[in-house]
Amino acid sequence: MLEITDLTVAYGGVIALDSVTLSVPEGSITAVLGANGAGKTTLVRTISGLVKPRQGSVMLGDHQLVGRSPEAIARLGVGHVPEGHGIVSELTVDENLRLGGLWRRDRADQRVAIDEAYELFPPLRVRRSVSASSLSGGERQMLSIGRAMVARPTALLLDEPSLGLAGALLAQIMQRLSALVVERRLSVLLIEQNARSALSVADQAVVLSLGRVEMSDTAERLAGDDALRHAYLGF
Amino acid sequence: MRLFVIYTLDGITNGMVYAAIALALVMIWRATRIINYAQGAMAMFTTYIALTVIRHGAPYWMGFVVALAAGMVIGAVTERVLVRPVESRPPLNAVILSLGVLILLEAIAPMLFGGQTQSFPVPVSNIDIVVGTTSLPVSPFALFTVGAVLVAMLLLFLVFQRTTLGLRMRAAAFNPEIARLLGIRVGRMLTLGWGLAALLGALAGMLAAPSVYLYPSNMDEVLVFGFTGAIIGGLESPVGAVAGAVGVGLALSYVSGYVGADLAPLGGFVILIVVLMLRPQGLFSFGRQRQV
Amino acid sequence: MLRGSTLVRHGLVFLGLTVVLLLLTSFVFDAYTNYNVTEVAILAISAAGLTVLTGINGQVSLGHGALMMIGAYTTSVLLTWHPDLPLILMLVASIATTGIAGAIVGIAGARLRGPYLAGATLALAVALPQVPSHFASIFGGNQGLSVPTPTPPPFLGANFTQEEWLAWIALAAGVITFFVLANLVRGATGRRFRMVRDNEVAARLAGVDVARTQILAYVISAACAGLAGSLFAYWVTRTSPSGFTLNLSLSLLTAIVIGGLGSLVGAVVGSFILVYLPVWTGGFASSLNLSSNVANNVPLAIYGIVLIVAILVFPRGIAGGFASILRGATRVLGPSRRSPALPTAPETPSQ
Repeated sequence: MLEITDLTVAYGGVIALDSVTLSVPEGSITAVLGANGAGKTTLVRTISGLVKPRQGSVMLGDHQLVGRSPEAIARLGVGHVPEGHGIVSELTVDENLRLGGLWRRDRADQRVAIDEAYELFPPLRVRRSVSASSLSGGERQMLSIGRAMVARPTALLLDEPSLGLAGALLAQIMQRLSALVVERRLSVLLIEQNARSALSVADQAVVLSLGRVEMSDTAERLAGDDALRHAYLGF
Repeated sequence: MRLFVIYTLDGITNGMVYAAIALALVMIWRATRIINYAQGAMAMFTTYIALTVIRHGAPYWMGFVVALAAGMVIGAVTERVLVRPVESRPPLNAVILSLGVLILLEAIAPMLFGGQTQSFPVPVSNIDIVVGTTSLPVSPFALFTVGAVLVAMLLLFLVFQRTTLGLRMRAAAFNPEIARLLGIRVGRMLTLGWGLAALLGALAGMLAAPSVYLYPSNMDEVLVFGFTGAIIGGLESPVGAVAGAVGVGLALSYVSGYVGADLAPLGGFVILIVVLMLRPQGLFSFGRQRQV
Repeated sequence: MLRGSTLVRHGLVFLGLTVVLLLLTSFVFDAYTNYNVTEVAILAISAAGLTVLTGINGQVSLGHGALMMIGAYTTSVLLTWHPDLPLILMLVASIATTGIAGAIVGIAGARLRGPYLAGATLALAVALPQVPSHFASIFGGNQGLSVPTPTPPPFLGANFTQEEWLAWIALAAGVITFFVLANLVRGATGRRFRMVRDNEVAARLAGVDVARTQILAYVISAACAGLAGSLFAYWVTRTSPSGFTLNLSLSLLTAIVIGGLGSLVGAVVGSFILVYLPVWTGGFASSLNLSSNVANNVPLAIYGIVLIVAILVFPRGIAGGFASILRGATRVLGPSRRSPALPTAPETPSQ
């Protein structure tokens, strides 16, 4: 369970997140929707420790994440798939995957986890020893998600996985991920500008607008609410 | 012809020492986008430490190991204490900071070790090898120099390419933010990187000192030639840095032999300018424009 | 119109400053002080040029000592050939040759960025001092060339010493240099320099020819170094490679950082510290009976520490740090007045 309470972030004097409260139950996907500049990326960067909040709390199970460094938060089980996938293009595909859980003590399970990532996204196995810079957009996204999974996270933050991907490919990736979410009891926070695709895989959704939680409901009901869709989601 | 062979072998030997410095500079540049102008001064300092150890009756090899260890410590401490705060600031800050470290080390060294020029021992003879009646234009120490730098490079290559520690260090250098999100302690990796670079510098100091002698600014020129090699190689590429530095070593040796020893540094400068005019980012940088 | 009257006002201020300085050298200072003051003036001229290049235009030069060397050798070689040539001609000739050298370095430098430029200037600083020993017939080898001390004109009286005369010349040259640079830096040229330093792309979009601006900054900076080098030759009375080691280049950079990067006044403050710190620490060290190995290197150690501390504690340089404290204080204490001590502080263009 990932619980965010009263989280406020300011850049200089500009409020980027304003008392955001939301929770991501285990084994489910919560979509965070909103326009450009609504504070979506700031939210995940704050959870990962890259941005220091002015106030508020982020609990992962019993652990308070606020005040910890990004590397400590990663080691507590938060996997972050950053916007624009964030693969290390100077390294090979395999090296990128291995980076996922380098801090883990269980070396044997590490190898198993890497194997599972290849199983999850078979196209990666074929290209395991090529430079990550030669991957296509979809393959990069697979690599980034696979790499986060190698660390066996309990919470997964996905920042705009749809960016630059064809709809069918994205659906395929998300479908594979959804099965894992239930199986591994993952708490997934899915940041999306593309509300339609996000709502189709998410269980719950919140709408962010100018740093505030404007609306929060099940994905199904949000998708069915025409007025809301027009006002905030644009479809 | 015999002269040409002599100049070539000399150039390669010196070039390998420059290569060690060049590689140290490139390692730090890739990890922190900083040129460590104090690299040479750090090497001078660790060489003085080695000399002190040897003068106290310890064998050469003890001094050798102490120098490398001291280099590692000085490099790591410099990164952790001095460089860390300026890593995110405009580049001029780091330039001036490392020049400050350079000046400070060159001031402290004579206070601690005396200011006069001192000779430095060699572990093996530096007189040309004689086979039968012919003397070969190469000495055991020259072979040791080339061998030591090659071994150090090979070890570094293995650490970086074949160990998980090396993978962590590469990730931290290439993309610090992503590395942190993956649980890698980037700060420690940078400290370690500076330490390893300074260790390589310390090796260069030990290898240069028998021929350039030991005094507080004895590594200034070696640093400049190593830097020249690294720039010619494009600053990003370890292979380029080594190739560039050996090229500088050869060029200096030929200019020194055929034209005049005084003009060797000018020759190095001219080559640097010519290369940079043709390729402003050096020879081995293939369009990677990470700099602002 | 206002601009013109500002120029006149500044001219009068600088003229007054010159008179005061010259009177001081002749009636207050002793010969030793004059000797030191001359050095301060020489270093300040060179440091001011470096301030324009590094502080205001953002190009790093680790080889300014080499440019001073070109100026010094121009004067020395010409005087060796024709000992009777007037001093003013020597100064102009040195400015010209070094300016040309600066243009060449600048043209090369305009294509280079960051460490590539720094590396090239560093290589120059190491390479150039080795040239005289190869062409010993022209440059006198490692012994160097001797330079006659200029004699004061007779109308100044029989008691007017050579030290006083050289101090006059150096101070006058310094004041003129600062007058020219201060006006340049405040005007449109200075604005272009700063635009290129702060954001090259934005400067280009605003129609600034970045390469030309950078080359101009290099030429101006080199011309100052040439003038300083020429005066340096007269001051030392012998021009040899040992006077222009890497240390000189690093000292100049130290001076402008201590004084506050980008401030012309800072260049003077830094040069003053460069000259007087060894004097003070020398007295201090001998009173403590420190060994010469320690005593001789105390100033160097202090420079190193000051550079490190300046960067870690005052990112804008120590004078910059003081200035910002002062400005803070004036803002608290009452109606703000523009600090006259900061002619180059980032500000709106002059009226």
